[in-house]
Amino acid sequence: MNRTSPRGSVPAIALALAAAVAVTVVLLIAGSDTPVAAIRAFFFGPFSNTYYFGNMINGVTVLVLTGLGASLAFRAGVFNLGGEGQVYTAAVVTAVAANAAPQLSAAGGIAFALTAGVVAAGIMAGLSGLFRFLWDTDELITSFLIASASIPIIDYMIVGPLNDPASNLLTTPRVPEAFRLLRILPPSRLHIGILLALAAAAITFFLLFYTVRGYEWRLTGLNIAFARYGGINTGMYILFPMLISGALHGLAGAFHVLGTHHAALVGFSAGLGWNGLAVALIGRSHPLGVIPAALVFSYLQAGSRTAILHTEFTFELATIIQAVIFFIITAQHLPRILRRLRLKRDARA
Amino acid sequence: MIANSLGIMAPILIAGLGGLLSERAGVLNISLEGLMLTGAFAAIVVTAATGSVLLGVLTAAVAGALLALVFSIISIDFGSNIFITGLGINLLAAGGIPFISNQLFGTKGVLRFAEMPVLPRLDLTFEFRIPLVHDLLFGHHVGVYLGIVLTVLVWVALYRSSFGLRVRVVGVNPETLRLRGLSPERYKRIAIILSGIGAGLGGGLLALRLGVYLPNITSGRGWIALVTIYLGYRHPGGVLIAAFVFAFAETVSMAAQGVIALPNTVLLSLPYVLTVLAMVIYSAVRHSSARRVRYQR
Repeated sequence: MNRTSPRGSVPAIALALAAAVAVTVVLLIAGSDTPVAAIRAFFFGPFSNTYYFGNMINGVTVLVLTGLGASLAFRAGVFNLGGEGQVYTAAVVTAVAANAAPQLSAAGGIAFALTAGVVAAGIMAGLSGLFRFLWDTDELITSFLIASASIPIIDYMIVGPLNDPASNLLTTPRVPEAFRLLRILPPSRLHIGILLALAAAAITFFLLFYTVRGYEWRLTGLNIAFARYGGINTGMYILFPMLISGALHGLAGAFHVLGTHHAALVGFSAGLGWNGLAVALIGRSHPLGVIPAALVFSYLQAGSRTAILHTEFTFELATIIQAVIFFIITAQHLPRILRRLRLKRDARA
Repeated sequence: MIANSLGIMAPILIAGLGGLLSERAGVLNISLEGLMLTGAFAAIVVTAATGSVLLGVLTAAVAGALLALVFSIISIDFGSNIFITGLGINLLAAGGIPFISNQLFGTKGVLRFAEMPVLPRLDLTFEFRIPLVHDLLFGHHVGVYLGIVLTVLVWVALYRSSFGLRVRVVGVNPETLRLRGLSPERYKRIAIILSGIGAGLGGGLLALRLGVYLPNITSGRGWIALVTIYLGYRHPGGVLIAAFVFAFAETVSMAAQGVIALPNTVLLSLPYVLTVLAMVIYSAVRHSSARRVRYQR
């Protein structure tokens, strides 16, 4: 895992983005019957109206939070591979909590439901941290297994006992209207959670780089033996990063319920955990790097969505494009390879 | 029940052994799931086209190897992050297979062919047989035997050959190899391709056992295979045990469907619950006994 340069060089990233755009265009031309319309829908669709634009920005909220969760774990040298299950569990817990206490005031209800979701996901990931702390059980595996175990159970709860009989969808009942987060850009789903997500990134940045605990956190991640030798209580920096990573994933799940959908839909979290890891790695595990990474990622997803809705473009092609962009966006040797190609061409000329 | 577990175990074991080789070379191959899916698709298509299970299985291995070659080019030559590359390979398989399937057969869904040969079983009948032992040893599909043979082969390769030593050195310290005038990248690449062969084979066996290709037929088995590597403490024998534990847990939860009044969907989580419990208990016991030894000294 490469975490040596938190910032990365700007030209390299610009080059990667340019290459990603070029490859996307080629794939769109090759894979679509109406390439011009597909290219327009893919690249400009997300900006064509407030609905698409707002939903794209709303996608950033979830990606920033899950990306932050993954980054914080990486920074301490631990892995949280259970993001998907943590988001999912938190969503259901939030929905249940919100519906269980309709008598609360708006602020109280939101705080209660958010806390419930965050705590549930925090405990879930924290368990893996605890096992690692107590018995040196690999947290990478247990977090993944615990999350994988939780998903079928949550599926069952949403379809079965918690199902909303009034809805045709497989979903929990909608949360009381008073507890729904303020929408910023109607008719889109963008809600004030985005501000909290950005604030979380800024706070994380400050705590990680400008406090003693943040320093110890990073030092443990860089070299745990050295950190222990330096008198740092490294056990704490295994337990808490997992706990907080889970809590951030929980916040993403809670926002999904209180802000985006107002209920927990079955299977909504599929792939969210991996996307969070991808955002963290693209953003070089830097709390502020996560924000542009989430923007690019969300833009890609929004572009695929509008292209699928408006043209012959298919879901499979969107998946392939995402794969290719993954390959290019972290390619460190790309500048060197291009330079070598150019040299070869010059030699021939 | 044990026979059934062995049948479930084989694909996970073979994919896990492949993943173990790349893991020992320092490459966490999280694309096992996508590689298995590719192998499953290739096996069914080729077996249906040629009528030969053997060709189907071989193609599965080749398909896995080719996709793993792509993985190695992107991660080693382009220098992309291994984790992201693995995620990308999984996406490539998830998007590419329905795309190809749609071009070839006009469907993105289930591929079922008439007159599909199934995976042969090894059946030996003796005049004299001990019932329990006989059931344990014979009558499984060929994948089970292949898996056990491969476990031994991987062990020999890793611990009794210069190739294995170099692979293990690459995983610990690639520069050592470079100082000896060998290319660490070369060994990494070979290990990655071997992991593709293992995962492709595993996926192929999984599909041929059912005789049909279903979308998401692997349903997490690639991830389980990845888990067996760590659960088995990065050792081929450990992978064998871990794959069996997982397969047994799955068999138990399937058998439990008739007995316990639990909904089917909840039972899907049982293999994961049992595996994580086994893992936590094992590490707790190991940890406490390790401490006892330390105190005695």
